[in-house]
Amino acid sequence: MTTTFSPFPSSSSSAAALINHNQRIAAVAAASIRSKHNNNNNFNQCCFSLKQSSSTPLHLQHQDGIGASKASPLKASDNILKDAEVLSVPPVIQDIPNFQQDTQTSSTVSITVVGASGDLAKKKIFPALFALYYEGCLPKHFTIYGYARSKMTDAELRTMVSKTLTCRIDQRENCGEKMDQFLQRCFYHPGQYDSQQNFLDLDKKLKEHEDGRVANRLFYLSIPPNIFIDAVKCASTSASAASGWTRVIVEKPFGRDSESSAALTRSLKQYLDEDQIFRIDHYLGKELVENLSVLRFSNLIFEPLWSRQYIRNVQFIFAEDFGTEGRGGYFDNYGIIRDIMQNHLLQILALFAMETPVSLDAEDIRNEKVKVLRSMRPLQLDDVVIGQYKSHTRGGVKYPAYTDDKTVPNDSLTPTFAAAALFIDNARWDGVPFLMKAGKALHDRRAEIRVQFRHVPGNLYNKNIGTDLDLATNELVIRVQPDEAIYLKINNKVPGLGMRLDRSNLNLLYAARYSKEIPDAYERLLLDAIEGERRLFIRSDELDAAWSLFTPVLKELEEKKVVPEYYPYGSRGPVGSHYLAARYKVRWGDVGSEQ
Amino acid sequence: MATQISPCSSLNQETLSSAKLFNFSKKSFPSRWVFKIHSKFNQFELKSSNGYPLNAVSLQDGAAEKPLAKEVALPEQTESNLSVTVVGASGDLAKKKIFPALFALFYEDCLPQNFIIFGYARTKMTDEELRENISRTLTCRIDKRENCGDKMEEFLARCFYHSGQYNSEQNFTELDDKLKQKEDGKSSNRLFYLSIPPNIFVDAVRCASGKASSKTGWTRVIVEKPFGRDSESSAELTRSLKKYLAEDQIFRIDHYLGKELVENLSVLRFSNLVFEPLWSRNYIRNVQFIFSEDFGTEGRGGYFDNYGIIRDIMQNHLLQILALFAMETPVSLDAEDIRNEKVKVLRSMRRLNLEDVVIGQYKGQSIGGKSYLGYTEDPTVPNNSLTPTFAAAALFIDNARWDGVPFLMKAGKALNTRRAEIRVQFRHVPGNLYKRNFGMDMDKATNELVLRVQPDEAIYLKVNNKVPGLGMRLDRSDLNLLYRTRYPKEIPDAYERLLLDAIEGERRLFIRSDELDAAWSIFTPLLKELETKKIAPELYPYGSRGPVGAHYLAAKYNVRWGDIAGEE
Repeated sequence: MTTTFSPFPSSSSSAAALINHNQRIAAVAAASIRSKHNNNNNFNQCCFSLKQSSSTPLHLQHQDGIGASKASPLKASDNILKDAEVLSVPPVIQDIPNFQQDTQTSSTVSITVVGASGDLAKKKIFPALFALYYEGCLPKHFTIYGYARSKMTDAELRTMVSKTLTCRIDQRENCGEKMDQFLQRCFYHPGQYDSQQNFLDLDKKLKEHEDGRVANRLFYLSIPPNIFIDAVKCASTSASAASGWTRVIVEKPFGRDSESSAALTRSLKQYLDEDQIFRIDHYLGKELVENLSVLRFSNLIFEPLWSRQYIRNVQFIFAEDFGTEGRGGYFDNYGIIRDIMQNHLLQILALFAMETPVSLDAEDIRNEKVKVLRSMRPLQLDDVVIGQYKSHTRGGVKYPAYTDDKTVPNDSLTPTFAAAALFIDNARWDGVPFLMKAGKALHDRRAEIRVQFRHVPGNLYNKNIGTDLDLATNELVIRVQPDEAIYLKINNKVPGLGMRLDRSNLNLLYAARYSKEIPDAYERLLLDAIEGERRLFIRSDELDAAWSLFTPVLKELEEKKVVPEYYPYGSRGPVGSHYLAARYKVRWGDVGSEQ
Repeated sequence: MATQISPCSSLNQETLSSAKLFNFSKKSFPSRWVFKIHSKFNQFELKSSNGYPLNAVSLQDGAAEKPLAKEVALPEQTESNLSVTVVGASGDLAKKKIFPALFALFYEDCLPQNFIIFGYARTKMTDEELRENISRTLTCRIDKRENCGDKMEEFLARCFYHSGQYNSEQNFTELDDKLKQKEDGKSSNRLFYLSIPPNIFVDAVRCASGKASSKTGWTRVIVEKPFGRDSESSAELTRSLKKYLAEDQIFRIDHYLGKELVENLSVLRFSNLVFEPLWSRNYIRNVQFIFSEDFGTEGRGGYFDNYGIIRDIMQNHLLQILALFAMETPVSLDAEDIRNEKVKVLRSMRRLNLEDVVIGQYKGQSIGGKSYLGYTEDPTVPNNSLTPTFAAAALFIDNARWDGVPFLMKAGKALNTRRAEIRVQFRHVPGNLYKRNFGMDMDKATNELVLRVQPDEAIYLKVNNKVPGLGMRLDRSDLNLLYRTRYPKEIPDAYERLLLDAIEGERRLFIRSDELDAAWSIFTPLLKELETKKIAPELYPYGSRGPVGAHYLAAKYNVRWGDIAGEE
């Protein structure tokens, strides 16, 4: 949590833009082709909320200033929310710091996507940047550079990027113009990832665009792990910002076990401070993962139930309905446990199970998450089931086995499915199994959190429920994807004469409640990185703790050459996972007859 | 999830896709057997939900104790008979509710095979005229249109009429003769439904009990409100009734207790782990019981003016729901166990004080060119009437669970909507991390559980949620269960359930004498004070949201009515 002003010039600049909305509006209208109305909506809405996410006193003032300056932000959001009661009505505060007006004209952010010709860059990073631009969330002055080894001109990069840009369904207006404006800010610089010279050239080009303003630089490393360090070294030494901040976003894998991860961290820290490193876990940027803490900490009805006393087990489920499909080279070296469990699912688990943090500041939250991870028992081989998909023919279509993939060795034992039972040995969670399940080539695609509650002690309706009380427990389901939803399974009387009970859902389907498209996780994370909001990024000690839970079992699996249980492509996965659940007297919630 | 066999055969089979039920198709049995089988399931169902044999009458218990399988295999030929006599058969309630409910029970195979229905009233009428009369109000459920006409004919053929005075032993003796004739020597149970004005209650009970009681089976009497107009008159009525009837023959009906969501209240609370831990002063800030009608007395204010909204709605319907809501966990679901707990709640309640009550009366209003009459403009109401057509009250239960929690009630006629609901407002989150996102008033962002009893039955829980999008804006969304979408079946009318319960001797939803006494003692002092001090009600326009005084009453206890916020 930083309370000083200087680290975040860009974020304050966007706030300042709002604060001086009335003065600036003419300029904006003149300078841009956006319709005035549309501009107001986008800009206010995005940055209005943006301010709320950071919680420095300074930012709070910004937020207040926005509220005072115009009524439209609330109106705009009212349109978006169907009959919602908007709770975040900022109080009116008159004084607006003056210095912000200056910074907003003189600071800029340069975003360099290292590995610009890669898949992730094309599919996720550029579209997310465009969405941020479209929503008015980027500072007024910004430059985007693609950096990769391929020879390409700016125009070629733009053509490449433009193919993947889309406008949100609810904001089609001016989309074409917006795209053109955005692409004008995109440039390309070819270079080697380990060449100081090439990065120096980049630095020069960046400086030209920055044009003497306070310059902040964000590097997004979308490159294979073996060249991470070289690129960091070059970027840091030859292309760091001279006058503003320099931040580096790195993607998984963060090593493949405790040792390699520690080595990676050590190397990164030779060139970067901890607070410059933004380890991205895009699951933490998902809407419902963000909402997890909101649900828990802003509703009285959930927190009292959030412990071993009422919760019988928690399940974190990730399923993909496709296999490696010819891209198994990277995956085979890691496997599903490293690819999904050790990072995405474990991070969600830590968020789920943490104690109440002192505040919503990044350091407070990450402190609590580390505590959870450090209270966890290292995973035992007995508590893991691994699987690998085999070929399957359905409806005349033959789906290949994992080892049929040409990029995968024929004798690969790499798990494409894993289920695990983890335990947190602290006062809140002692004895509660936290089950995880992740797999490729399963029958559906989903990511969800399922909280299964205990049965009602001394249930008066025992006889109506039948013999197995555990079949009638409450369950809270947070569906992260697809079709975001929250629902609570409750026992209810079936209407009619007599007394029959069944389970019904109290539900909240996002598609029905919120007509707005939900932003991609990368948008939020990029925005947070630009603003220096570290809440959703992984700190070194979190990473260490996470690896120490999984490293022993990963080594054991490899040393003992444990053979995965084979499951047909498109099935529900190895039955072994049911026996694992049964061992702890629970049931997977996702493969019951009702979901 | 449902594993329970339900009481009335056809009810459940198609409706729940996920339910696995024993599906005894009617077609596979000769029709005579059908009731037999269902009847045994009835017994079975009741027994199992109660846990002990019904204390009704030996006949029923005897049947219930026999093993189920044998009963299905060997249907008995001698079936006990049921005679239902609707006393006051020409009245409004009888036509609109009682006969249709009886028909629905018949249609759903919930009545014994041998049953007859007698209408009794002063009007001279033939059986045919009665049939003609009630056939107009019978309807089949939307999902059960099949054979509806045939079924109606069959039902009407079992309906008869006997005209007589309500205080004539002679006339009831004649009724007894007719009943005996129809019962044809079978052992017979008799149910009297008294749908008559309170001043002739006792006479009718005396005559019915003295002259037309069943000799071979049970005799039960259903009585409707008003059960007196204060503690004394209620006690007097009870004393009089008990001269002729034992407590377990008296079925005091409160039809709100037969509503689907009121029945579900206990299910929600006691069969879900997520609710019971929250069910106390630690987490609940206040509870609201809201009843509103969007019409006035409309020329039928004669009865109402003598009672007023407090007696008509609050002291019975709302208070009964409150008691169910607030009771401790009963030992079992048996009627006596539940009623014991309800009495405890009522006896722990503070008497209602005048300062904790707001009364109102509607006045005339023109809306869209149409003028609506004020209460005192009703020709059946005295011009100077001070009778409240609206009341709001704050009640308190001085026990360990509820100390200090306001239980607000609100009931009114001629308001802007028609609704009945229970709203549970939770406390705010202590040390809320998201304080800043809520603005200044944390209390506007508390959780709320709403059970909407009518119309459009629903349960929803208001939760704070992040508005999807970049940044962190919160709003209140609903976790909801709308019955219409989840249960496509039509929900039975409250009277069906209550009549069935009375026939089966299930007393859970009927009011015991001591409950009634306790209920009156909460309201009687206030009612007397209102009348002796001639407190003038706050006038509110017809079709409005009611007197603003209700808001000040809520404000006094630092709460807000949940039903008239902007979001509803």
